[in-house]
Amino acid sequence: MATSTSQAPAQQRARQEQLSGVTFGRVLKSEWIKVTTVPSTVILIVTTIVVMVGIAALLAWQTTFLFDAQSNPDMAAQMQAQGAPDAAEISRDIPGSGLIFGQLLMASLAVVLIASEWGTGMIRSTMVAVPNRTSALLAKQLIMAAVSFLVGAGSALIGYVIAQPILDTAELGFSLDADGALLHIINTGSVLALVSVFAMSVGTLIRNTAGGVVTSIGVLLVLPILVAIFGGGTEWVADAARFLPSSGGEQMVATTIQDGDLNQWQGSLVLGGWALVLLAASLLVTKKRDI
Amino acid sequence: MIEAQALSKRYGAKAAVDAVSFTVHPGKVTGFLGPNGAGKSTTMRMIMGLDNPSGGRVTVNGRPYAQHRAPLREVGALLDAKAVHTKRSAYNHLRAMAATHGIPDSRVREVIELTGLGSVAKKRVGGFSLGMGQRLGIAAALLGDPHTVILDEPVNGLDPEGVQWVRHLAKGLASEGRTVFLSSHLMSEMALTADHLIVIGRGRIIADAPIQSIIDGQGKARVRVRVDRPQDLLGSLAGEGVTSQVLEPELVEITGVEPRRIAEIALRERVLVYELTPLQVSLEDAYMQLTQTEVEYQSHDLPLTPATPDVQQVPAHMEGR
Repeated sequence: MATSTSQAPAQQRARQEQLSGVTFGRVLKSEWIKVTTVPSTVILIVTTIVVMVGIAALLAWQTTFLFDAQSNPDMAAQMQAQGAPDAAEISRDIPGSGLIFGQLLMASLAVVLIASEWGTGMIRSTMVAVPNRTSALLAKQLIMAAVSFLVGAGSALIGYVIAQPILDTAELGFSLDADGALLHIINTGSVLALVSVFAMSVGTLIRNTAGGVVTSIGVLLVLPILVAIFGGGTEWVADAARFLPSSGGEQMVATTIQDGDLNQWQGSLVLGGWALVLLAASLLVTKKRDI
Repeated sequence: MIEAQALSKRYGAKAAVDAVSFTVHPGKVTGFLGPNGAGKSTTMRMIMGLDNPSGGRVTVNGRPYAQHRAPLREVGALLDAKAVHTKRSAYNHLRAMAATHGIPDSRVREVIELTGLGSVAKKRVGGFSLGMGQRLGIAAALLGDPHTVILDEPVNGLDPEGVQWVRHLAKGLASEGRTVFLSSHLMSEMALTADHLIVIGRGRIIADAPIQSIIDGQGKARVRVRVDRPQDLLGSLAGEGVTSQVLEPELVEITGVEPRRIAEIALRERVLVYELTPLQVSLEDAYMQLTQTEVEYQSHDLPLTPATPDVQQVPAHMEGR
């Protein structure tokens, strides 16, 4: 960005203007500054990591008890009869076990990042600096998605590392090249990234922090509960429920795929589809509407 | 240079801005004057590409704002003092805006010094007073060293020193050949700052002229007369389409007739005139006359009395403005 001082003033000015145009890279940098200079963002990200890693550690500890119980043949038979899962099976899911809480926090953060711009009036500064609007929104989405991915995959990886010594006490430890282990860790990040795109798009459409948080959390976490309670008996509801964003996310991090369930990639198509449709809608609407 | 052609903005059936056309030229301060709700801010938001016009178009330096490659270098705007995230510091806010255009941090520090924000730049904007918020908005407007500067109510909440600073700044920018467009509902401020005036009321342009010609054009001659028998003088003047106001038993203010004519009638009526002073019409008077009808639609809780042909019954309080 440094301009040569040896040039003639007019030339230098022209050169400076050329250098000073809005580019996507610059908008990304601007959005990065915005994300990192609001203290609550940083606090929320750190909280998410702590919570996700903490849950993984706790679950690992709890699983060792389950393993101990199941080592006793009588208990094992009794538990199997009750349909309790196998400790070794559970242990594979430990790294990303805090995903629900991760989704809750990162979806909220995604909504807050965009809706607070409308709440405070910052959006007018943003859109005056980047008047084509789309690149400002895309840059924010990209940064939030990248942060979410790193938070999710990073937490899962730390969760894995911390869980191993705990699991080892019960012979439950597993290596990263175990079946589905690495994909589970990576996809914990992918789910968070897609969920944050979903939530930020909702926030962009609603332009209100409270409304955006309630709506995105409602669709991601409450809707599947409602479906489970009220739609359990109806076949088509159960069938349609597989295509909820939350179901897609669940399948993405699943370490064992039941018969008839979507696999990890199909799950990512479901969640990704939701995120993409809402992203497109939010870009279109923002382009058309007054700020 | 800002050019608006038949620019309109409708919200439902109501036209906030109704087919306005105007040009703001470089090298001078153009005031955008109008009562609250006249459409000033809406017009400015359309110039900056935040609101889409319902009709017509507006360009800045030859193009719609959004089509400039480096918009902050073309136009800097203070649209709303609260266009800042309250939890971010002033310095970081400006840094984030500057980053979109690759404007270096040195320029950020420059505008912070220029606007006198040095001591509070690292503090959260949420704790800023209205005046400091305005200064930050102006700092953001100047960030790209733009050819055109748009300031919406820039003196709102500023202390007297700040008001004077904005006045000097606006004039200074204009003298450098930039286009300066600033809105206000305070005519006194405009009288001191602007060279050219665009007056808007209820979404329409009422006047677009150099400030002096607005004062001259609207001001009917107003004369202060001390006379021993005012009623006799006013009685003889009644046929000439004048209005008058008796201020003291022997002091009247007469509007709508030249001083010479008053003297002639006084001579004919043989009344003693011992003061005859032509009064300069203030911009404030001119403004009130221009916008009176526009304002009356908005707030008038008393039923309007039909205008009487008898000019002497014009209520004193109406005329006094």
